[in-house]
Amino acid sequence: MSNRQNVIVSNEPWKKPLPNIDKDNEPFYEGLKSHQFLLWRCKTCSAAYWPKAYCQNHENEPFAANMEWAPSSGRGKIFAFNRHHMAFHPAFKDEIPYVYALIELDEGPLVSSTLIGERMPGNVYDVGQTVEVVYEDHPAEGFSLPRFRIVE
Amino acid sequence: MPKHASSGQYAIVGLGVVAGPQQDHSERMVAAEAARRAIADAGLRPKDIDGAIDLRRTGGGGDRATYVDAYSRLLGLNNCFYFVVGRGGALAGLGIATALSFLDRGIANYVCIMGAVTDWSQAQESRKAGHRGMAHGEKAGYWGKALGDLRAVSHHSWMAARHMAVYGTTSRQLGAISVAERAWACKNPEAKMHGRPITVEDHQNSPLVAEPYRLLDISLVSDGGVAFILTTADRARNAPKPPVYVLGQGFGEVSSELWWDKKNFTHMAVPRAKQQAFGQANLELADVDCAQFYDCFTAEVLFQLEDYGFCKKGEGGAFVESGAIGPGGSIPVNTSGGLLSCYHLGDLTGMAEAIRQLRGEAGERQIKDCEVVMTTGHGGELISPGMCSIHTCTLLGRHP
Repeated sequence: MSNRQNVIVSNEPWKKPLPNIDKDNEPFYEGLKSHQFLLWRCKTCSAAYWPKAYCQNHENEPFAANMEWAPSSGRGKIFAFNRHHMAFHPAFKDEIPYVYALIELDEGPLVSSTLIGERMPGNVYDVGQTVEVVYEDHPAEGFSLPRFRIVE
Repeated sequence: MPKHASSGQYAIVGLGVVAGPQQDHSERMVAAEAARRAIADAGLRPKDIDGAIDLRRTGGGGDRATYVDAYSRLLGLNNCFYFVVGRGGALAGLGIATALSFLDRGIANYVCIMGAVTDWSQAQESRKAGHRGMAHGEKAGYWGKALGDLRAVSHHSWMAARHMAVYGTTSRQLGAISVAERAWACKNPEAKMHGRPITVEDHQNSPLVAEPYRLLDISLVSDGGVAFILTTADRARNAPKPPVYVLGQGFGEVSSELWWDKKNFTHMAVPRAKQQAFGQANLELADVDCAQFYDCFTAEVLFQLEDYGFCKKGEGGAFVESGAIGPGGSIPVNTSGGLLSCYHLGDLTGMAEAIRQLRGEAGERQIKDCEVVMTTGHGGELISPGMCSIHTCTLLGRHP
């Protein structure tokens, strides 16, 4: 693995479940590959969503044409987290214990992923740490995944 | 306020339970056997059943069930309708609601409602390939499995963690829920954990799975099936077993709160469900003799105790520590042992126990003068962070 700022490149064969990429979230996954964390934003009122949805604030155009994917800060705060001590899938055996966190992005939406890096949270009731996205590229597999690390 | 015109007009007249490991049987055969037992228990013949509902855990569990022909081919039912109902662990409550609309219009006289799983047997197979826990895959579109969100506990544990963060609830307090349900299971010979009492220390010493959850915070993986027969009150009076009347039903759904208001991590979708069910029945919480709550994990029990008002919001931890939900407590909860200690057949676990309590068939764990039982269901999609957002409440009674 090589490690630039907020980018990790892995050429290891992927043995875990594949990300579920479909017509709704394909632009989001494309954004990850170019190291952007896209949110689904309303062109009328700027409200931010993840993943794709109709704007909750007013009437919408057909198929939410009033919305678009747009870059975000990729920063947020830990809303809740747990620490997995058991690998339910064999490919996670080398990673336990791992922290799986629910992150409240600065723009509002919740998103979940694993925390990486040296700084890990302590007690599960001790939340609110600021985190930022780290892009984990898997070029041989053709996808990138978002991880998060604590920055303060 | 008078009770709703439908309250007490429909009743359960037959119950069939298949419990324990079923490694020698297919899921469809377990389902068919549960239905056969329920039909016989109601004093009926298969030809009397004119409607059938197949309960499936769509959503949370993915595509598991393969027993579509259990009714039609195995049992040879000549029913006029047969279809699938269910959302995660919300099964029996939704099945009853659906069946009532057919009984109400005279389309059917006796509806068989059935669900079955062979999760335990399937898990034994997948363990050989290095997997742990439930053996199933999520459907397309689910977020997070690639990232480590692998089982229900991977995200449900956030709810317990949030309750700890907001209200100061402790792991020992969650342990008191496990201990109480295990004490009930020790009075139920059918329960998987019968004969294996535990203490809070045992809970604290059980392995961490997804912190804050330990092994003893997590429901069982089970095989088995439950079926019951629903009919009209006038027909129920001729049944061989005491009828169990449907007094009220209510439903809640909090997907939008979960996603956009971020407030469902310490609550369940109770308020509207409670108002509807208790309003139809013209009953109050104080009328409930025991509660069969959906308890996929310990915190779900805590949330429901608070959300229904058995104690104040945030004070559930102290309430369960006081012994309120175990044998001899003020509100007996999950008197079979529940999903934590009896078996996990979704809300059918609580439904079967409610029927037995109201018939007076609960043996050593029988609640004295049991007249009103509340049962709840819970389930939904697992599109992290969205999780089980539906809540159902069914009030059952010994009298119409």
